[in-house]
Amino acid sequence: MHIIVFGLNHNTAPIEIREKLFCSENKLPGLLKKLKDSGLDENVVLSTCNRTEIYFCCETPEEYLNKIEALLIEYFCIKNEWLENYTYSFIDNDAYRHLFLVASGLDSMIIGEPQILGQVKDAYRIATFHNTAGFFLNKLFHKTFNVAKKIRTETKIGYNPLSISSMAIELAKKIFIELKQKKILVIGAGEMCEVALKYFKKEGLSDILITNRTLQNAKRLAENITGIPYPFDDIPELLTRVDMVLSSTGSDEPIIDKELVVFVMKKRRNRPLFFIDIAMPRDIDPEVNRIDNVYLYDIDDLKELSLQHLSDRIKESEKAHAIVEEGVINFSNWLKQLDKNPLITHIIESIEEIRTSELNKMFNKMKYSDEEIQKNMDLLTKNIVNKIIYRHISLIRQNGDPSALDVMKQLFRFEEDNEKDMEDWD
Amino acid sequence: MNVILFNLSLLFYLLSTASYMIFLVVNKALFEKVGYYVLFSGFCIHLISIFWRYFHAGYTPITNIYESLSFLSLCVTAFFLYLRRIYRIEILGCIITPVIFLMLVWAFSFPSDIKPLPPILDSYWLPIHTVFSFSGNAIFFIGFFISLIYLFVERGIKKKRFPSISARLPSLETLDLINYRCMSYGFPFLTVGIITGSIWASTAWGSYWSWDPKETWSLIVWITYAILIHNRLTIGWRGKKTAYMMIIGFFFILITFLGVNLLTGGLHSYL
Repeated sequence: MHIIVFGLNHNTAPIEIREKLFCSENKLPGLLKKLKDSGLDENVVLSTCNRTEIYFCCETPEEYLNKIEALLIEYFCIKNEWLENYTYSFIDNDAYRHLFLVASGLDSMIIGEPQILGQVKDAYRIATFHNTAGFFLNKLFHKTFNVAKKIRTETKIGYNPLSISSMAIELAKKIFIELKQKKILVIGAGEMCEVALKYFKKEGLSDILITNRTLQNAKRLAENITGIPYPFDDIPELLTRVDMVLSSTGSDEPIIDKELVVFVMKKRRNRPLFFIDIAMPRDIDPEVNRIDNVYLYDIDDLKELSLQHLSDRIKESEKAHAIVEEGVINFSNWLKQLDKNPLITHIIESIEEIRTSELNKMFNKMKYSDEEIQKNMDLLTKNIVNKIIYRHISLIRQNGDPSALDVMKQLFRFEEDNEKDMEDWD
Repeated sequence: MNVILFNLSLLFYLLSTASYMIFLVVNKALFEKVGYYVLFSGFCIHLISIFWRYFHAGYTPITNIYESLSFLSLCVTAFFLYLRRIYRIEILGCIITPVIFLMLVWAFSFPSDIKPLPPILDSYWLPIHTVFSFSGNAIFFIGFFISLIYLFVERGIKKKRFPSISARLPSLETLDLINYRCMSYGFPFLTVGIITGSIWASTAWGSYWSWDPKETWSLIVWITYAILIHNRLTIGWRGKKTAYMMIIGFFFILITFLGVNLLTGGLHSYL
């Protein structure tokens, strides 16, 4: 049994090609079904804006890779040579490694980004829902979630944020105890402000004051995100009431200068004030940062911090790769063990024998059966069998209670001559 | 017996320090918890040992350098345990536990046997004056370290450079709040300590205030913190200014507590 991945990603294919092969959530079941019909018992399709990948298992990889290529060309109506030029396929160890890297964000465009894990989980969920993930892929994906979780907790790969908004929040948390009770003043009503404010709202910040040169726009933004609009001239007074200032206007001249902030700080009795200036050119005089208890970060500071965080992530990815390798070894050992254990093969074979013979008996009995019903019954019985067998196999793998093993041997009429192989294996 | 108890508490403080150091390196909350509970146990044993000494000697055991250092570290531990329960400042333990441990080791290097109480100290003012003064000092002691952390964090944010440890340090506002707590708890203790001291002085030496070096320096300490609190309440001295003042005040405390005794003579020669 081999596990194979076939697909393309942002490193191998340009966006035009990725778009063509993108498979939205409602198109996914159709593709899964087509793959299953082509003879693949187990397959999972992961499709995001950066990648489309098919994970499957079979005994004859070459044959199925060709089948899948043909199927994709037909399904997505794409040119033959695209798949040749832009895709990759990995088998066994390389396939597990690839999936572990993908799920933990190490193969992403922005290294360590967390969304991909959710997308992998969704892909797996859809596959199980449509009964296309079986014994092997179940195990592989669970192992994947394990590895990804371990990487999250044991390395700092996703530790420091990269986006401007989340970095501003990180910084605010270094300054203030709790963001919930803090007030923020937003100067400008553009899209940048709106995006950043959404992040702040997620942190539970509810007091949002908005001002803009055109009051109308401030009112519009205030309505969108439940804030309170104020006239532009109120800024000096507003500065005494808030804890954070987010500024992004199109003004050519600084709106807030050092003198104003010095004056305001006296009135605030030096309560800390945090300026986030994401405007270009800047809205706040950089000198403001020199005042005690005033902290100013402009767009360049945030960008530089973002680069630093990125390089930290790249450093951390070494540790993550070590965890991935560990996972690959674990999983391939598990598979090898599975092959070697004669009791397990015996169980799988004997149950499969029972299943097919009973199924065929039933098909012969049924008068009005069509292909659809037959296929569904085949699927149903397979799933039931897989689910039941899985428990037996894991019990054997745990090598626990010998009396339980004895019972299992009796149950499945495990012959004595096989017994010897079993001992060798132990 | 006293030595056994003292050594046992020393061992606990050492274990707690070790646990906090592991926490510092591997950043697993478990080690911090272990450190905290071990420190608490060490504190209890230390407290028992001081009580034991109290009953055995028949007087409050804060009469020489050994006893003073021991009692001061007890107070520092107590205040740290209190702060740790209220605020999330786990990282402070990594600084405080080794300091407590070293302070006790240092105490141990001074003669520790119980001697008859000098007649001049034989007064019911002894426990009152010393306990208040030491509690105040211990609180400012913690304030000193909080201020150091504050300056470190503040510098990082201003300079826009963040060493990897900074993610585990508390926010500026938290540190400033703790500093404020330190001054508002420490100052009353210090004040009562000085007042009771001068009342005691009037009965023992015949005058309330005789400008001996210890008295003078403790007045300087008191004035430093008084300025700090006054300015905080009136013009809102916060953050860096508070931190600097806490550090300066603490150096004055060091001079008062040790420098005066180790360097000069004076009426307070027994501490």
